[in-house]
Amino acid sequence: MLERMGYTNLRYYVGGMADWIENGGPVEKVKPAAAPPRSGQNNQSQIPRTSWTGFLDLLASWTLERLVGFWLGMILVFGLVYWVAGIGMGWGLQAGNIAVKPDLEGLGTAIYFSFVTALSIGYGDVIPLGALRILAVAEGVAGLLVFGCVISKLVSRRQEDLTAEIHRTTFEDRLDRVRTNLHLVFSDLGAVQQLQAEQGALPGQVLRRLESTVRVFRGELQTVHDLLYRPQVIPDEETLESLLANLVICLQSLVELNASCPKDPRRSPALENGLRAISNLAREICGECVPRTYAPQLKESMDQIQELARKIS
Amino acid sequence: MAKAESRQDSVHVSYTISRQEILARLQDPALLLVNVMPRETFEAGHIPHSISLPVAEVESKARRFFPDSDREIVIYCAGPT
Repeated sequence: MLERMGYTNLRYYVGGMADWIENGGPVEKVKPAAAPPRSGQNNQSQIPRTSWTGFLDLLASWTLERLVGFWLGMILVFGLVYWVAGIGMGWGLQAGNIAVKPDLEGLGTAIYFSFVTALSIGYGDVIPLGALRILAVAEGVAGLLVFGCVISKLVSRRQEDLTAEIHRTTFEDRLDRVRTNLHLVFSDLGAVQQLQAEQGALPGQVLRRLESTVRVFRGELQTVHDLLYRPQVIPDEETLESLLANLVICLQSLVELNASCPKDPRRSPALENGLRAISNLAREICGECVPRTYAPQLKESMDQIQELARKIS
Repeated sequence: MAKAESRQDSVHVSYTISRQEILARLQDPALLLVNVMPRETFEAGHIPHSISLPVAEVESKARRFFPDSDREIVIYCAGPT
């Protein structure tokens, strides 16, 4: 790949780590550094960060359960404050012209009032007096905000499920298409091989057909390569196994075809380019180098692909 | 350790480097060792002074790491390439 990017002075240490370690070369390890704590907020909004927006972001980052718990806790705390404020201050709640007493029943009334306020019901059977009115208004606002967060979280949960589902389905569709195309490539290659067996050197028309088959093959190989190196969705091992197996048989046909008519002057540059690209891509499908560890059979298939790639060019 | 077996690419020939040469040049700042294995494998053990450039990140990071196309770069992997 680096060759493709224009680097001209590349050298390969063919033995790799295996050879290095086997022969006692010094090995360096990396001590696991403490990962810096991530803030978990990938969608930093562009709006200026005041304390309010900070608070809203905090609410947005909580889980549903936590939000509901916070909401309940807030109501209880407000209720307590209403109740306590009545003691010795002369303000407090009033229920039908009687001050709410600081006893157990009073507590119940205070909490009831708190709920009614936070839910924006406001029956009016219990009313706040004096400065407590400010508190009640604040509770109303807070209750609405938190409630809004709760509702939006519920909705977005469903949406996240749907989006993940859509991604998965399109992904599977794409995989299916790759598989189908690989089957077509294989049967095309087989047809070319047959023609060649019957007629000796490949006539120009068949060579052109080979060229277009090679082009399709290259596209699908690129897709599988991306799948392995840039997995946005992790394919399940079975599907991957069948894909790799298909790749192997296609490559085998290609290798045979290529070997059987090496120096035909009618081979176009497009064909050569396609073959070289295929070889490069396939060579990079290396069981050790891919970002994930796969089951041994998959690694075997990948090694086979590498082997065959070498034979192409 | 096998010596130069130039692979017959139809376009360019790739050169190999031997273990002895790497060992001899470990302290040489001109020798740029690139490990293309995944990050975790790199961290578990790599040749001293080599840098980690997993294959998946080559396209995005190679230009930044080696702006000079003529720099001598030694690539190695887990096992026989």
